[in-house]
Amino acid sequence: MHYAADVKDVIYRYDGSFQGFLCCVFESYARREIPSAICAPQQEQISLFEPRQILTEEQKARRVFAGAGRLGGQVKYRLTTGFLSGAPEKELILLRFLRTAFAIGSGAAQMLGDPDVAGAWELERAVCNEAHLFQEFLRFEQRGNLLGAVIHPKNFVLPLLRGHFCSRLPDEDFLIQDATHKVAMLRHGSEVRYLQMERYDPAPDAAEEEWQQMWRRFFHALTIEQRRNERCQRTHCPKRFWPDMCEMTPLSGK
Amino acid sequence: MELAEKLEILADSAKYDVACTSSGVERAGRHGSLGSCSAAGICHSFTPDGRCVSLLKVLYSNACCYDCSYCVNRRTNDIPRATFTPRELAELTIGFYRRNYIEGLFLSSAVLGTPDRTMEAMISALRILREEYHFRGYIHAKAIPGADPLLVHQLGLLADRLSVNIELPSADSLHRLAPDKKRAAVLAPMRQIASETAQNRCELQRYHAAPQFAPAGQSTQMIIGASPESDRQILHLTESLYQKYSLKRVFFSAYLPVVQDSRLPALTTRPPLLREHRLYQADWLLRFYHFSAGELLNEDNPIFDPYLDPKCNWALLHPEYFPVEVNRASREELLRVPGIGPKSALRILRARKHQHRGLPELKRIGVVLKRAQYFITCDGYLGARGTRAEIAGALVDPKAFGVGVQQLSLDSFLPKALPDAAPALHQLTDQGMDPQKAAAELRQEAITCITRRM
Repeated sequence: MHYAADVKDVIYRYDGSFQGFLCCVFESYARREIPSAICAPQQEQISLFEPRQILTEEQKARRVFAGAGRLGGQVKYRLTTGFLSGAPEKELILLRFLRTAFAIGSGAAQMLGDPDVAGAWELERAVCNEAHLFQEFLRFEQRGNLLGAVIHPKNFVLPLLRGHFCSRLPDEDFLIQDATHKVAMLRHGSEVRYLQMERYDPAPDAAEEEWQQMWRRFFHALTIEQRRNERCQRTHCPKRFWPDMCEMTPLSGK
Repeated sequence: MELAEKLEILADSAKYDVACTSSGVERAGRHGSLGSCSAAGICHSFTPDGRCVSLLKVLYSNACCYDCSYCVNRRTNDIPRATFTPRELAELTIGFYRRNYIEGLFLSSAVLGTPDRTMEAMISALRILREEYHFRGYIHAKAIPGADPLLVHQLGLLADRLSVNIELPSADSLHRLAPDKKRAAVLAPMRQIASETAQNRCELQRYHAAPQFAPAGQSTQMIIGASPESDRQILHLTESLYQKYSLKRVFFSAYLPVVQDSRLPALTTRPPLLREHRLYQADWLLRFYHFSAGELLNEDNPIFDPYLDPKCNWALLHPEYFPVEVNRASREELLRVPGIGPKSALRILRARKHQHRGLPELKRIGVVLKRAQYFITCDGYLGARGTRAEIAGALVDPKAFGVGVQQLSLDSFLPKALPDAAPALHQLTDQGMDPQKAAAELRQEAITCITRRM
């Protein structure tokens, strides 16, 4: 540990937003303490420790974020992507990382031997890896003029998919629904919006069904039976992605 | 013929081509066109044989006029034949690309009449894609040996990566198994592509908007196990290809018997998957670990040890290089340690500016301590002490003894030797030995053997 503060028997409760989290960081500095947990409203838990509600204040959040910005791009990126993680203790890990970074400076991002830094790095890596997997395994289907896709990620990866798909499909409208977090990203014309969306049912029409069938037949034709290695397949493409990938269902009819 | 059926036939014919990568060129999207490229490449799916599907890998046509004995598409083989039209192929690519099924097109072809005619048809399909649909995704095209240099030039301006298949590791084997192909005809386009790419790089430095010629370079592939060359010959050939023609990749494909022929291994031969794997490992050592082919194999040991990966094998033969001090060693020295790769070496170099490394820190960084601990010191302290047998046990490759359930049909739940396990394990299980027991016995034998060598 590179910072002077004690772990106190207190739990911070915040509103779950990034700004709220930055206010927790502020609080931790103001009181010279490290909470034993930081809870978002979704993960209320019964605990012996005294809870303290942290109010989100624009002013404080901005101060902390500006401070993090001065620590260099790598620290800032680790903070913002790490916060997208779905891991239960991400706030505390990021708080510890940020305290180390404020104490050491921008070089802290490289100190992977330090347990606090390594923890935050793990978060960043998990989020980025999952985002990359969804760049690979996401499947659009056309409905009218809109390309739609449903994903079930563990982390909130939509912001990381945005740049890739906007660059890949510069003139198309598309919608990606994150079924875990019930949020959809809609790109329409030149603007991108995030919407609350409970359900998005893919219902391919006849033409779309034909494209999917064609893709499925292509996929099955590519398999070399003598080299069959399903373990290797699952290593590269874990089974949790399969329900949203049309080629992983067996060939129907033919 | 229906388009889906055509696609199925031509994908089936193309599946033995190995190179399915979309790497080597970074290109952002642009309004008015479709697609982008990412330098690291993106895989879009994985087939049950564990290979990635990154590109729409098809042949333009499988109606071949050659008769190469190892190939499924040779003219004497009785299989359904199909040929795309340029527009069909372009529409298919765009349709798949928009749905995020693929990263681009991998276009190869059987020889349709003459090499020139084949190349012209391929070029017309690519031209529709690039010029009509303004497709900015990845295109990998195969140059057909024997085609006119001007056509190769045109193809290079449309495609991101070009490749010419060297097919077999020596001129003798090529002459014996593929009488229609000439070694010189294969090397000529390769040389042309290498020189044009180098020239294009100079032009691009001077004029930013100069047309790009195969910006992702060229690759090649060869079949392993159909001809009698040793691993050493293959690796030396690979090294010289990288040096002479500045190839990006050399791919190896384990030979799958598709035809009964006295010149070829019997139909019951298993594809040498473990050997292919070892060659790829060695290929990685050449490209990213500063090894040379002569260091890995020599006249006395012309083939790879099936139970040890080439780097561990080298480390065992050269105890004088070890132990390596993690807090002071250079990148090249670190890369020679089994269990440390380019990524963890880079992380060690960066992290040691700020703090000293001990074993727990190395573990967090991603070093495989199981193997590395015997070869490193941290501030003068040895990572671990082990008996020879313990070290050998840590180094043997578990892949060689792979046993598992392969669900080929619904009733096969018995564990079997995996296809990429060592040939000796397959032999034992074929004789009726229990796979688990055979694997354990073989492993013990391998460890004893390695211990004796140390």
